[in-house]
Amino acid sequence: MTSDEPSNESRPPRQQAARGFWSEAWQRFRSRKLSMAALGFVLFLVLVATFAPAIAGTKPVICRYKGTIYVPCLAYFDRTFEPVIFAKDRFRGTYPANLAEKDPESWAIWPLVFQDPYRSVRDNEWPGEPANPARDQGTPSRRNLFGTDQYGVDVFAKMVHGTTVALLVGFVSMGLAGTIGITIGATAGYFGGWVDMLASRLIEVVMCIPTLVLILALVAFVDKPSIWKTMAIIGLTGWTGIARLARAEFLRLRSSEFVMAARAAGAGPLRIMLRHILPNALAPVLVPITFGIASAILIESSLSFLGFGPPPPSVSWGSLLNDARSNLQMWWLVVFPGVAIFLTVLSYNLVGEGLQEATDPRLREARK
Amino acid sequence: MRQRLGHQRPGTGFSPRQAFLVRPVLPGFAWTIALMLLVGCGGDPDALEEMTAESALESQGSAVQERLLEPFDPPPLDELLGSATWIDRPVLDPLAGLREEQAGEPVLATPAEALQLANDSPENNATILSALGRLAEDGQADLSASVNRHIPADIGSTNPILISSTSEFDVLGLTGFGLFSFDHRMEPFALADAVVSWQTSADGLLDKVVLRDDLLWSDGEPITAHDVAFTFQVIMDPRVPVPAVRSGTDQLRWVEAYDDATLVFFHKEPFATNVWNINFPVLPKHVYETTWEDDPTLKDSSAHVRLEQQPVSGGPYEIVERTRGQQIVLKRRDNWHTVNGEQVREKPFFEEIRFRIIEDPNTSLLALKAGEIDEMILVPEQWTTQTAGADFYERNTKATALEWVSFHFGWNINTPYFSDRRVRRAMSYAFDHERMLEKLCYGLYEPATGTFHKTAWMATKKKLDPYRQDLDAAENLLDEAGWIDHDNDGIRDKEINGRFVPFEFSILTSNQPLRVAICTLLQESLDRIGVRVNVRPVEATVLQQFTLERKFEAYFGGWGTGTDPDTTENIWRTGAGRNFVGYSNPEVDRLYEEGRRELDRAKRAEKYARIQEILYDDQPYTWLYWRNSFYGFSKDLRGYVFSPRGPYNYSPGFSSLWKPAEE
Repeated sequence: MTSDEPSNESRPPRQQAARGFWSEAWQRFRSRKLSMAALGFVLFLVLVATFAPAIAGTKPVICRYKGTIYVPCLAYFDRTFEPVIFAKDRFRGTYPANLAEKDPESWAIWPLVFQDPYRSVRDNEWPGEPANPARDQGTPSRRNLFGTDQYGVDVFAKMVHGTTVALLVGFVSMGLAGTIGITIGATAGYFGGWVDMLASRLIEVVMCIPTLVLILALVAFVDKPSIWKTMAIIGLTGWTGIARLARAEFLRLRSSEFVMAARAAGAGPLRIMLRHILPNALAPVLVPITFGIASAILIESSLSFLGFGPPPPSVSWGSLLNDARSNLQMWWLVVFPGVAIFLTVLSYNLVGEGLQEATDPRLREARK
Repeated sequence: MRQRLGHQRPGTGFSPRQAFLVRPVLPGFAWTIALMLLVGCGGDPDALEEMTAESALESQGSAVQERLLEPFDPPPLDELLGSATWIDRPVLDPLAGLREEQAGEPVLATPAEALQLANDSPENNATILSALGRLAEDGQADLSASVNRHIPADIGSTNPILISSTSEFDVLGLTGFGLFSFDHRMEPFALADAVVSWQTSADGLLDKVVLRDDLLWSDGEPITAHDVAFTFQVIMDPRVPVPAVRSGTDQLRWVEAYDDATLVFFHKEPFATNVWNINFPVLPKHVYETTWEDDPTLKDSSAHVRLEQQPVSGGPYEIVERTRGQQIVLKRRDNWHTVNGEQVREKPFFEEIRFRIIEDPNTSLLALKAGEIDEMILVPEQWTTQTAGADFYERNTKATALEWVSFHFGWNINTPYFSDRRVRRAMSYAFDHERMLEKLCYGLYEPATGTFHKTAWMATKKKLDPYRQDLDAAENLLDEAGWIDHDNDGIRDKEINGRFVPFEFSILTSNQPLRVAICTLLQESLDRIGVRVNVRPVEATVLQQFTLERKFEAYFGGWGTGTDPDTTENIWRTGAGRNFVGYSNPEVDRLYEEGRRELDRAKRAEKYARIQEILYDDQPYTWLYWRNSFYGFSKDLRGYVFSPRGPYNYSPGFSSLWKPAEE
């Protein structure tokens, strides 16, 4: 990254001009402490989501059993990753006792917290440890850092594993929305005329559909509801804002000189759109995507809160709040997931705001 | 089919308040109100109300224009009296009966002492019920008192023959007129308030009732046998959309009023269940005679709209005010208990009964704590954690008792997974019953083993042990049945028609935290033995639809109890309407048929006991638990006595409640 210092004579002035738009934006973004802290928090969440099975779980991170090394904790990402040997021989998914009993030679590296997000830990499952408390007895303690829910499932483990859902919902649904939105917006803006007319009407029609109601209706019909379908629906209905911005940018840029030059040089429409206009139009479009991530997380939480989230036993922060609704005296069911949702949404909004200010020179000017 | 209405006394009740499902039972028009499918469970009455409403619609659709009643020429009364031998049947005053019963029971504490207690142990619960459940002695009750009752949903109609939801049973049980009822042991009897005598012919084909001559509708007209005969004709007219009360009533051949007082019911066959069929609500003939032919919906014409707003009442109370979605106010009817200046019936204890409609259980609990309502059903979570503090006990107390409402996993026998009895047993062995009872259900429920509760007269005398988790037994049974992990993917499978079918199925449940948690526990339990379960929480109505269409592999649900064991026939008979799981056993079919024809109680009980034993062996359901009833009561209320159908849905039911007079 080049510094802001005025360049000395040995540096040709061309190099200054070569500093790209994005590196300049990053420069400006970095100077906003709040946005940087927010970005740091998002990255932290990515880390937590990635290493969730190693942070909280009841399956060893790595273990050696009957002469082979296994990584059973991957089963938390996908059931099929669980080595079949642990489903045989009446192993029954209970590792600590069975490992030692069936192969005294075995060893294992355990997750930091021996708690499962999907079920309550049974009595003596971890040698010497009692079962999780249930009902409203599960106040936060040494064993259950964030307490347990009314059925005895550890809230900390649930939250750690729920991070994946919270992040995925944002990225996947907004990735989908971004793709659709930019494609439609770009086509509409670049070609104009009846294409624009059609696309704009389509955008207006989709805008009229209330996402939450649509999802509630679909949940009743979908045969096997899953978090992916929820994400798809959020994405399929949330692209309108992005499309409108993309359309406006393309409309503006298509008559600019560099586009004309490209066209004169014989570039086809696809090449002009992707190679020449899109990079210049991306900045304003990224901002609603970032805000969209925040709102997608909120939508998912509200759905789970209403009981229409991913099917059990998958966990999400919103479903914890739902449990709290009928157990208000269990404050830890409200506070921890509530704070997590709040911080995540706030972070995304701060990142979005930072991005907006960093990429929009007019805003920067206005602030001075 | 059965459980019929018996009004007359306040709360000579019918249905449990947790709504019951009204459903087509047999091809034709049989409807059952006695059994309820509890797709919603303790605490979400609203979901159930919804279901009931939907069923009502269904019934309208199914009531095609077919003739329900063949013309019948009843023989003259003299001929009947001469030819038949008559056996006297009980005509009782339910309040007096209950008082007598209580006189023999020890009083464990004074009301004042009982009100100091926190209901946190079975002993305290017994003390509270004993002390506060006493009926009023002479002069003890404040006859000018009013009470605020809670109902979870508004009533659809004030016409007693259109009754279908639990809220309607609660309200119309107090304003309607009927001849029969049943007590907390579910013994049927005729109400002494309405009937002079009740006799059954020795061949079981006739029932003769003589009405009292001092009965008045709220508009001052006398209630006569003609009203009953007229109502029967209306109920049996296919144009009238009767959602619930036609079931059972349609088993009657004819109802004839020979004069103002004498009424004869003609039966098609001499069934043991006939006593329930003669019990239906009664309409005032003089009011509806002129209006119902023009508008058989009983709802649409201007006359019926007016009647809906100001119904003519035959019961001890009449509706004086009704704000839709908010409240219904009933007032005691003077010409019910006092006729021609003479008191002919005991005065009901409340001058005014106000039904408050509050859908959300959390809101109604707040209302109870604030003293805005005097009683409500509590959900288990509220019972355990939200009603333990001083804020609750300041104005209220609470009581619980066994209710014959049981919950189960139903296994669809027509799927490749559950056609084998060994697999169904394996499911019962695999499930962690203990954890469900202790942790999920707060230790409040007792385990269920079958379709009848062990204290019921028809239950088997053999001791059926509740299933306990035994994963070894479960795995052995699955191995035996051929469900082995052949392809080494950690999931058991079996070769069916040349293809390996993995043991992975979905279980449907209504979208309620406790139910979802129980299904998730099943998922966890089965996961350990190589069986995959997908839990699918759906709306109560969706669940109802899927079970009705048999589009499921397994579901979680529950049944309430009817007044007669025959009500379970449509769950277990081959091809019956509510035999969702597709169970079929010729012996069970035969036993039900025999049970219906057997008039001797002890011999009948043997038939049903045998059915229960067969079902226990076959495990078409994995029976889980009996759900208790939980009620919060204002400290002012006395006289609540619980039956297996809750504190209100029998006789005297709600009419035994009272508030003490100021000292």
